[in-house]
Amino acid sequence: MLKGNPILKKDLKVTSRSMRLSWGITAYEGIMLLILIFSLNIFENLSTSFYDAENYYSRLVTLFPILSIAQIVIVGLIIPIMTASSISGEKERQTFDIMLTTSMTPFAIIAGKLFSAVSRVLLFVLASIPLMSIAFIYGGMSWLTLFYFLIAVTLYACFAGSIGILSSTICRKSITAIILSYAINFVIYALTFIPMVVADMVTRGSSMYDFPLLLLINPVMFFEEFYTWVITGSFEDSLMNQMLNSYVGPFTGLLARGGTWMFVSGFVILGITLLFMLWSARRINPLHGRKK
Amino acid sequence: MLYITNLYKNYGSFQAVSGLTLHIPKGDLFGFVGPNGAGKTTTIRIVCGLLKATAGSIQINGIPASDDYREIKKCIGYVPDFFGVYDNLKVKEYMEFYGSMYGMYTRDIENLSDDLLDLVNLRDKKDVYVDSLSRGMKQRLCVARALLHNPTLLILDEPSSGLDPRARVEMKELLMNLNQMGKTIIISSHILSELSEMCNSIGIMNHGRLITAGRMEDIMMQLGNGNKIHVSVKANMDVAVRTVQEFAGVQIQSVMEHELTIVCNCSDEEISGMIGQMIYNGAVLSGFNREEGNLESLFMQLTGGEENA
Repeated sequence: MLKGNPILKKDLKVTSRSMRLSWGITAYEGIMLLILIFSLNIFENLSTSFYDAENYYSRLVTLFPILSIAQIVIVGLIIPIMTASSISGEKERQTFDIMLTTSMTPFAIIAGKLFSAVSRVLLFVLASIPLMSIAFIYGGMSWLTLFYFLIAVTLYACFAGSIGILSSTICRKSITAIILSYAINFVIYALTFIPMVVADMVTRGSSMYDFPLLLLINPVMFFEEFYTWVITGSFEDSLMNQMLNSYVGPFTGLLARGGTWMFVSGFVILGITLLFMLWSARRINPLHGRKK
Repeated sequence: MLYITNLYKNYGSFQAVSGLTLHIPKGDLFGFVGPNGAGKTTTIRIVCGLLKATAGSIQINGIPASDDYREIKKCIGYVPDFFGVYDNLKVKEYMEFYGSMYGMYTRDIENLSDDLLDLVNLRDKKDVYVDSLSRGMKQRLCVARALLHNPTLLILDEPSSGLDPRARVEMKELLMNLNQMGKTIIISSHILSELSEMCNSIGIMNHGRLITAGRMEDIMMQLGNGNKIHVSVKANMDVAVRTVQEFAGVQIQSVMEHELTIVCNCSDEEISGMIGQMIYNGAVLSGFNREEGNLESLFMQLTGGEENA
């Protein structure tokens, strides 16, 4: 489906010719460089004396998590802009109808649009590897960690991108689609905590960690487990593990076992991504859906 | 070729297309005429699979649309009324992009696109960026793009809108060439004079309904718009008038000092027979001519009648 997807190939060709991509990479790497300099500066200032070298070093090993979390935040902010204009942009350009009259299936169109945005974002991330490799000097990470991070960030970009694409099929204008995309992201990241907060208020603190299963769809908790593993080398101290151990409910015992939550959450996020893609494909298929 | 049977399209309580039944045979250059909001574009979009019909069936090359629209799409080349472009895409890349969207191999696309760009007179522009082409060139490129997968049916929605006179003539010639090559073409346009010059059949829509459809000359004749004959009579007008009255189905519209105007639903042979009889009876004729049917007047007659109804 992806090999030779004409939309993916065309989008990459057109984007690579545009100066916007070069400026985008420059801006992205510039921000990453600033974060690196600020982080090193803060570590330096926190060291009170020459004898504080051990603490200074222990702080330096957090450089990789700091830089990679910054990347995830930036990806989360830019991918709705990239994807939310993909379908609505075609409509605004009046090229969408021609696209639909070709032999390409709506799902292949959606996949092409999503993966062209994801590949552009990954280009940003890959371009920052030389910058991130500074963290290798101080330790706290391995090539395998970097590999896992790239997989995790790809999964996240696909997830956030599928939300953008879905918004793009709902809204006629790109700007409205971008706003809707941020709104859906907000609902997923923030409002999935609401049932726990409500339960806490109702039970006056005795049931703080109720409804953790809803958080399986929340990438924040996926990355929380991931970074606990990156920093400490185990999943035991993760907030998610604490929640699961405090709450007796379906599958909690199973999910609390080292790293299971992260993998299950990863698959759930992947499943939702596919679901959003199928929904988007259905929305753009003129022969399905509502009879207007 | 194309069979549309009892097609309906409703938007809430508004009926955009109402019970449209139409057959377009292979090799026709069919003109779709109607005022704004008549339902032409809606019909075209349904045929192209861009809209879902409320009811009715469509069959192209014997394939019912309800079975597999992907197969139907392979038979159709669609040219919309507006040409949208991608920035930073060259003409040959534009062709490659759409060819690959039809699942064609790169080598086949390259070979075909060269021929098609030749056909639309754009071969020398193949390394030029699409957004730098003039509107007429873009429209011709759009036709070349629509022909890439060798469709049997080419559908053009207002292809001449916004084009300058030269580009219109080029577009008309291109479509007539394609029709001569055996392509069935459906063209919707507001420029009736242009349609009457190139189409061999037409369909007139108004308020979502097909008022009439068929061969251009048949429709003109049905409406008495085709065979209006002006006969110049030098002498013996009374003989000419008497001769005409002997022919059934011939009406005398006006008799002037040296001109007799008649309206008839006769074949060319019957008309020449009638003229010959006038001369044989002793009328002195200096000439005669048939007034050509006019699509504008036909259109006004039909759509005006509908509005009055």
